[in-house]
Amino acid sequence: MAEEESQFEEFEQIDFLRDRHVRFFQRTLQVLPERYASLETTRLTIIFFALSGLDVLDALDVIDRNTMIEWIYSLQVLPTEDQVNLSRCGFRGSSHIGIPYSTKGPGVLHPYDSGHVAMTYTGLCSLLILGDDLSRVNKQACLAGLRALQLEDGSFYAVPEGSENDIRFIYCAASICYMLDDWSGMDIQKAIEYIRGSLSYDNGFGQGAGRESHGGWTYCAIASLCLMGRLEEALSQRELDRIRRWCIMRQQSGFQGRPNKPVDTCYSFWVGATLELLDVFQYTNFDKNRSFILSTQDRLVGGFAKWPDSHPDPLHAYLGLCGLSLIGEPSLRKVHPALNITQRAFQHVQQLQQTWRDSTGSCSRQH
Amino acid sequence: NKYNTRFISTDKIPPVFLCFRDRKEWADLEPVPQDDGPNPVVKIAYSEKFSDVYDYFRALLKNDERSERAFALTSEAIELNAANYTVWHYRRVLLQALSKDLREEMRYITAIIEEQPKNYQVWHHRRMVVEWLNDPSEELEFIADILSQDAKNYHAWQHRQWVIQEYKLWDDELDFVENLLEEDVRNNSAWNQRHFVISHTSGFSDAMEREIQYCLYQIKKAPNNESAWNYLKGILQPLGLSAQPGLLERVLELKQTHCSPYLLAFLFDCYEDALENSKENVAEEEQQKTLKKALEICQLLAQEDTIRKEYWLFLGRSLKNKHGSSDPSDEPLADDPEPSVPVSEQQEMS
Repeated sequence: MAEEESQFEEFEQIDFLRDRHVRFFQRTLQVLPERYASLETTRLTIIFFALSGLDVLDALDVIDRNTMIEWIYSLQVLPTEDQVNLSRCGFRGSSHIGIPYSTKGPGVLHPYDSGHVAMTYTGLCSLLILGDDLSRVNKQACLAGLRALQLEDGSFYAVPEGSENDIRFIYCAASICYMLDDWSGMDIQKAIEYIRGSLSYDNGFGQGAGRESHGGWTYCAIASLCLMGRLEEALSQRELDRIRRWCIMRQQSGFQGRPNKPVDTCYSFWVGATLELLDVFQYTNFDKNRSFILSTQDRLVGGFAKWPDSHPDPLHAYLGLCGLSLIGEPSLRKVHPALNITQRAFQHVQQLQQTWRDSTGSCSRQH
Repeated sequence: NKYNTRFISTDKIPPVFLCFRDRKEWADLEPVPQDDGPNPVVKIAYSEKFSDVYDYFRALLKNDERSERAFALTSEAIELNAANYTVWHYRRVLLQALSKDLREEMRYITAIIEEQPKNYQVWHHRRMVVEWLNDPSEELEFIADILSQDAKNYHAWQHRQWVIQEYKLWDDELDFVENLLEEDVRNNSAWNQRHFVISHTSGFSDAMEREIQYCLYQIKKAPNNESAWNYLKGILQPLGLSAQPGLLERVLELKQTHCSPYLLAFLFDCYEDALENSKENVAEEEQQKTLKKALEICQLLAQEDTIRKEYWLFLGRSLKNKHGSSDPSDEPLADDPEPSVPVSEQQEMS
C-alpha cells in the first residue's frame, strides 16, 4: 500500500499539464511582448510550433482555422505579372518588409521581397495541419524559388540574396519537395553528397564537412534522406549502425545535443526521432527521458524550457511535446518522425497527394 | 553625422528621443507600417519607438534608397533586432554602394558579436566583410576571445574553420587546440577541431601512433570522457579497429584501472571488427572465442551503462545472430527477452 502511495505522489509531481500547454500555444498565437522582437522574421515558424503543438495535443478546435489560413497565405511571395521574380518565390516569415496585406496574386514587385526556405517549409506544414488543400499555393513558383537556393556543393541558402548555407536548409528543401510531391525543386544527388560529407569521424552529422557532430544536424541529415527515400542508398549498414550508436549515446537522462554538453528538452525530439527513423528508439530509456522532459515543464504558464527552472519558449514547448509523443505519452497524437507533423496531418498530406495524382491521371485521359 | 541626431537638447530641457517621423531630414519619406491584415497571428507588440524605426526602414527598402541616412538607420534597426536578416542584407548593399570604410565595419560587427555571439546573421555579416577586405588577420584572435567566453560556441567554431580553410591558417591551430584541451579535456568542439586540423595537414598515417598516445594519455587523466574515446575510435575506424597491432591489449590493460562504458563499448567494437574482418584462415573456434568475449562485454555494459541496457542487449543479440555458430548447445544470453515482444511495449506496461 505504502509503495502505491509514494508512486502516486511521484506521478503528481511529474504529471503532464495538458491544459496549460494548450493555453500556452493559444497565447503564443495571439500577442507576444516586444522582448520577442528577434522572432519577427521567423513568425511563421512560431505559428508552426503552436499549431503543430495544438495538433499533438489534439486541441486544434481552440483556434479559428480560416483566420490562420488567410494570414499564412498573405505571406506567400507570388510571381508578378511578368514573372520576373520567380526565383524569389516561396513564403515570407512575416510582414516585416511592408508588403500590403493580400492573399491573392499577382505578386507585388519589391526590390527586397523574397521567400525564406524555412518559412516556405513551415508555411506549407501549417496549411496542411489546418486541413488546407494547398490550392492557393503556386507550387511551380515555390519550386522555382527552391531551385534558386541550392549551391554547387548540394547545400541550400535560406534566401536568394544569400545567407549562410548548411544542412538545415537541405531538410527544409526536402520537406517542401515531399509535401508538394515534386522533387524537381532540388538536385537530390548533390544534396546526398553534402549530407555524406557532413558525417563526422565520430559518426554524428555536423552542419557541414569538418564540423562538430550535433543532434539537430543529425536529425536534418537522417530525416532528409528518409523523406527522399534514399537512406539505405546513401549510407551503408555499417555507417547506419555507427550513427545509431552516436545517437543512443546522447541519452544521459533526457538527451544532449553533443557529447559532454548538458541535456536539453529539444533533443528528446531531434535525437529521439532520429533513433525512431533508425528503428532503435525502442532501446532507449523511456522513463528517464520522460522524467527529464517533464522536469522542464513550466507548471504555471505551460510550455517546456530547454532546462529545468528556465523560461519556456514555443520551440521547446513543441519539441518537448513531440519528445513525449515519441515515448507514447497517452493523450498525445503520434508524430511522423521525418516530417515532424502529426500522423493525422500526415494522412491528410497523403490523401491530398492522391487527389493530385488522380486528377493528373484524368487530365491526361482527356487528351 | 547629421543623421545621427537622436536627441535634441538645450541647456534647460533634458534630451528627448526624437522619432524619425518628427525629424526634418526625414520629412520627404512616407513611413510604411507593417500590415498583418484584419487578423494578425503571433503579433509582436512593438513600442512606438520600435515601430517608428522600422516604419522608416520599410520606407527606405521600398525605394531601395542608397544614402548615408539609410545606412545610419540600419544601425538603429539592428540595435532593436539584430536577427532581422533583411536589415543586414540592406546594410551590406549600402556598404558597397556608399563605399563605406570596411575596417570601421569590422569594429562595428566585432562589438555586436561580443554582445550576441549566438546569432546567425552577425557571423554571416562578419564573414562577408572579411571576404571583401580579403583580410583574415584579426579572425583567429577574435574567435579565441569569443571562445574564451563560451568554449563550445558552434558559430564561433564554424567561422574559425572557414577562416582557417579559406586562408590556409593551419600553422598554430594544433597548439590552440591543445591549450583548450588542457583547460577542459571534455571540450568536444576542441577534439573535433583537432581532427579537422590533422586531417587537413599531416593526415593520420604518420601521426597515428602519436594520436593514439595522446588519447590514451588524456583517457588516463579523465577516464569518463566520451570525446576522447570517440576520437580514438574515429581515427582508427577507417583502417579497422582490429587492424592496429597491440591496441586491444593496451585497452584491456586500461580496463583494470580506468574503466568506463566508453572503454567497454570500444572493446565490443574491436571484437566486432575482428569478427567482421576475419581472414579465411581464422578458425571457427577462434571466432567463437571472440564472439564470447564480445557478448560478455555486452552483459557488462547492460549492468554498467544501465540507461542503455536494452540497446546493449540488442547489440549482443544481433552479433550472436550474425556470427553465432549453429551449435545447439549454445547458452542463450541471460536477460535475453524474446525477440518477438517489442521492448517498447514492455516499457509502457511498467
